[in-house]
Formats: sequence, C-alpha cells, structure tokens
Amino acid sequence: MAHAHDAQRMGETPHWQPEDVIGKMTLGTLLFSNDYRHIAIKGILTSVAMLGLGGLMALLFRTELAVPDIQLFGARPYMQLMTLHGMLMVFGFIIPFVIALNYYMIPKVLGTGELLWARGAQWSYWTLIVAAVLLVISRPDFTWTFYPPMSLRVGGDLVWMGYLAVVLVAISEFLAGAVLMRNGWEAARRLSWSKLPLMGWGAISEGILLMGSTPILGLVGVYMLTDWLEITAMFDPARGGDVMTFMFLFWFYGHPAVYLPLMPAIAVLYTLLPRFLGRPIWSYWSAVVAFSMLTVLGFIVYPHHFQPAENVSGWLQRATQILTLAIFIPSTLHVFNWIASLWYDRIPDSARRAVPFKFIIASIFFLMLGGVTAYVNAQIATDSDFVHNTYFVPAHFHAMFVGFMANMAMAGLYYLYPYFTGRMYSQALANTHFWFWQIGIFTKVTMMYYLGYVYFPRWVVDYLPLQQWAMPQMMLTGAAYLIGLGFIVMVINIMWSATRGRPADADPWALSDDAVTSGNAAQPAE
Amino acid sequence: MESALGLSGYQANMMIIVFVVLGAGIAALFAALFLPQRWKLKYRMEFLFVGILLVIVWYGDKKSAEVVAAYQSEINESGVLETAAEESNGTFDREIKVIAFQWGFAFLTEEDEISRNAAVVKPGEKVLFRIFSNDVIHGLNIPAVGITAEFDPGKERDIWIRAPEEPGKYLIQCLNYCGVGHAQMKAWLVVEGAEA
Repeated sequence: MAHAHDAQRMGETPHWQPEDVIGKMTLGTLLFSNDYRHIAIKGILTSVAMLGLGGLMALLFRTELAVPDIQLFGARPYMQLMTLHGMLMVFGFIIPFVIALNYYMIPKVLGTGELLWARGAQWSYWTLIVAAVLLVISRPDFTWTFYPPMSLRVGGDLVWMGYLAVVLVAISEFLAGAVLMRNGWEAARRLSWSKLPLMGWGAISEGILLMGSTPILGLVGVYMLTDWLEITAMFDPARGGDVMTFMFLFWFYGHPAVYLPLMPAIAVLYTLLPRFLGRPIWSYWSAVVAFSMLTVLGFIVYPHHFQPAENVSGWLQRATQILTLAIFIPSTLHVFNWIASLWYDRIPDSARRAVPFKFIIASIFFLMLGGVTAYVNAQIATDSDFVHNTYFVPAHFHAMFVGFMANMAMAGLYYLYPYFTGRMYSQALANTHFWFWQIGIFTKVTMMYYLGYVYFPRWVVDYLPLQQWAMPQMMLTGAAYLIGLGFIVMVINIMWSATRGRPADADPWALSDDAVTSGNAAQPAE
Repeated sequence: MESALGLSGYQANMMIIVFVVLGAGIAALFAALFLPQRWKLKYRMEFLFVGILLVIVWYGDKKSAEVVAAYQSEINESGVLETAAEESNGTFDREIKVIAFQWGFAFLTEEDEISRNAAVVKPGEKVLFRIFSNDVIHGLNIPAVGITAEFDPGKERDIWIRAPEEPGKYLIQCLNYCGVGHAQMKAWLVVEGAEA
C-alpha cells in the first residue's frame, strides 16, 4: 500500500548514539550553548518545571473546588492561581515542550545536521523566561483571555508586567516560529516538497501559524498596556473604545494558539509512529493535506470564540460555523492515517512494550475524545445552550492539551531519554506514570464534559451545593491528584534513572517480535 | 420542558452523532491494536471517509442554522431587533429588562418594578429579556431552559425563553468571567404557582 519512496518521505530515522549528553553539560552550556541538543534539553527540562508549577497551582485550586463553599482561598487568590495555571501550562509548558522536541529531532529527521538559526531558538527561550517571571510577579487574576474592560479594572499595580509579558510571549513565539520555518523551508528546498518528511511539513505549518498570529498578540499586549496607562482607549467602551476590536484581534492569535502545541505534537507522532512500527505511515499525502487544511482553517475560524453578536451575524456567523465544523475533516484525516498505519501490518512486540508507544496510543485516543465534541462546540445552537463558557469548553481543550499534546510530550521525552542520558528509564515507574495519567486524564475530561452538560460555569471559586455539580467536582479533584502523582513518579524516574538506570543499548528502540527472537531481546527498558 | 432554543430533539441527534463517531474511532483504534487480522486500507477508502464527514458537517450546519433561525424569527417577528425601542412586545407574554453589573442582575418589569435578584414569570410564558451591561462583558445562563448569552457593555442583546411549567425557583447565572465577584453573580427565575 505504501509506496517505496514513502520510507524516504518519513525522513532519516530519529536515532542518535545513546550518550550522557545531559551529564556532560555544564552550567555554561545549559544556559548559553547553541548546540541543538543542549537547547532542546534546556527547553524540555524547563517545560517539565513549568508543568510542575502549573500543576501545583491546579492542585491548589482543585482542592478548593472539591466541595462547595469557600475553604482555602478567596476569589482573588483563586483566580490568580487559575490564571497563572492556564498561562504557565500553555505558554510555559506545552508549546515550548513540543517545540523543544522538534528542535531535538529536526536536525536528524530533516537531515540538516544542526538546528539552523539556533541563536533564534536561544533568544526565544530567554525571552519566554523573562515573560514567565514577569507573569508570576504580576499575579494577574483575569484569566488567560484577559477580556477588557474587566481586565483593565481588576488588575493590581503590577498588572503592567503581565501585559509586557504578553508582548514578550509574542516575541518568543515569533522567534520559535522563524526557527521552525527556516529549518522546514531549507529541508524542502534541499529535498523537494514532495519528499519533505512530515516533520518538515509540521515545522512549516507551525512556522506559518506562529509568525502569522503572534504579531497580533504583541499588538494586543501593547494596546492593553497603553489602555491601562490611559494613553489610548482602544478596548474600553467607557472611554470610547470597542470590546469587539479586542475580540477580533485577540482571537486572531487565540485560535491559532490552540494549534501551536498541536502541530509539533502531530509532527512528533508522525515521526515516532513509523519508528516503532518499522514501516512508513499509511498515507503521506493525506497527512500533508491535513496539515495544510489545519493551518488555513486555524487562521479563519476564530470568531467562533465569541458568541453571535451584531458584529458576528448573518453570513459571517454561518461561514464561521461551517468552517469550524470543517476542522473536523483534517483532524480526523490525521487520526484515520494513524489508525490505518497501525492496522496495515503487524505491530511489533517491541513497540507494545515501549512506553513512548503507549503514550502515542493514548494520545490518539484522547484526540478523538477531545476532537469529536468540537462537532457540538462549533454549532451556534448548542453553543447558545450548554457549551459557551460552561465546563464543556475546558473539557474539550483539556482533552486536547493534556490528553493529546501532554501525552505526546511524554512520548517524546521517554523516547529521547536514552539518547541524552545514555540510560533507560525504569519501565515499572514509567508504566505507573502512564496509567496514573490515563486514568486521571480520562476521569478529569469526562467529569468536565458532564459538568459542562449540566451548566457548571467556568472560573468560579464557589458553587451551589447541587448534587449534579458536587460529586463530579470531587471526582475531578481526585483525578487531578492522580495526575499529580503520576507527574511525581515521572520526575523521580527521570532523575533516578539518569544515574542508576540500565545503560541503553546501541539502538534503544530496535524492532523485535517475541515469536521471532528469543523473547528477551530488545526489551525497551527494565 | 420546552427549552428556549427547542433543542431537545436536535441536541439529542447531535450527541448521538458524537457518540457514534467516537465509538467508531475507538473501536477502530482497538481493532488495529488487538485484532490478529491486519487490514490494508485502500487509499480510496479515505475519500469515502471524507464523504461521510462532509455529510456529517452538512447535517450539523443545516440543523443548527434551522434552530437558530427559528429562534431568531420569534424576535424578528416582534420587531425587537429592527426597532429595539419599540413598545410592542409582539408575540411575547412578558418583557423584562435585565441590567447586568459587577456583580449581579437587576430585572425591570414592564410595570417599572425592579428586583435585584429575581425575574418573576408565570408557568409556560414566553418571556423576552432585553439584556444590557453597563460595565464589562457578562453572560446570562438559565440552565432550566437551556439558554446562554454573552453580551458586551453598552450594547443591548435580546433573548427569549419559554418559562418552565413547574412553579419554583430556577438558577440564573453569569457565565463570563467578569471579575472577582463572578462566582456570586447569580439570580433566580421565579415561576409563580397558579395561586400567585
């Protein structure tokens, strides 16, 4: 079924000589080296730290939400935790993590040998660090969408730092996009478009999304700052501004932002799945079409984030609904491709044992669980009933962000681990992490869907003691703790195994089948 | 209970489609993982697959547009959208002005009676809400009748509901984050009994 040259289109095998790259890193190389592996490892480790910090915040506010009434926090600290949780998880953890995985794999897969314009990646990293510090200091309490005029009125004296951080995030992401675009473009020029590995298509799609959307985010950050300083009045109706101007500008970035961690995660999946299966992906061109459609649609469906109003009515409202529904097509083309790839030949036993492969399968599962409800999210009638700003929305994006993207981030981390530590992780601990996460994420997402369906509102510190709200909230908090426990197991594993794990084989992911080999060859871990 | 958007049949159909698509996807994934039989899909199968998706997309758009158009026509027929200041409330049994603010709702009846926390209606009435925010973006949600509206400051938005037949108190809540008091921004739709 797959053409002979499809193997070539998968790119070079993402394989390095396992060595203790991380153990040989000094503080100097960790901070300033432009070696692609050093930059990628730094990005991955920082993202893990951000995941820990953002996750801790989630556990704190989930503890508050476990039962009705206010137990631990007042509304303001609660909203500060929730806002920082969202911002750190999206801007600090998931987007940089999957981009760092791409930084690590691109030089090998695309055959560039090095990360072109690595200095841009370095600047991107440090700009993001400054943004994260400013964000934490400013402690914004107005959610990651900071809708004016509310956000112009509720922030404290340090809120200007938050707006500055928004500008810095935009600059950081623009630089990352430029790096990915440069590498993808160079590979396309060298190999030709028809032979560009899918990671290259992912890099170019991501580059377009980042470079196209982030200038508008930067503009929004600048206007928010000048509005707050009362130099301008772009977004404040009380001073002659217009909220809809903000909505159109913000969501022009805000919707593509959802795809920013999606594209690199998909690119990693298209790179690792053939590696574990030992065969090319089922359809190269299907993947290319899906990448392209997602990139185009990602830019034009953003009005679905604000409800029908006089500015979004008539043909624009209908067109937005149709185009949003159409996203269903490229998303399912990806899933179709992956399942067809799994199905068209035997799955090696070595893959079934490999923890990264398990995370890949879980990712596909959650992409379906999160993606399928986009069908009702997209429809104005259901949006005007139980979807808009109920828990149905965070259910959808947690299934995508955590279920798909964070699981793919973990797949990439466990896959690369032997290459940059020279050792294997503990299989038992990795399996524990895997199951804690999958049970936790599934429970969390399904409880959120249910709560949305029974109109539980977003962004509330306290809620009425209704039976249909209280029990799912308790289960949701339990699920969050299970995910937190899985994270701790993962951190212990990667720290412990870095010095005490079994030395990795020359090829940690060599293909093997128990029926063919002696039965204990190429165990991926232990 | 008839919901404002009349979603019960349509909504059930959409959720069935969601579950069927999800179920088919999960079944295919598990089959690919665990069935001993291997299956080499022909490329043309994907065109068939896309065709099915297009039908699903077309159906979702069509039904949603029909429901919204039917809902909106009730307001248009009464002239609310075209002439917001018009006194006549057309086909509606009751008209209530809603003023949303940080953090609460005020309800002003046609008799100029104002309530800070309750909109009082009779069972089964068609009620028109003219909603206005004087500070920030708010949302108004009445779970019992299945309606959610987001509205920007300084611009009126009109929605209508069919009040529940069962007398009682039904939750009205803000669904848009509007500041630290958002969680407390609640009110009640009070459906009076026959004796009231």
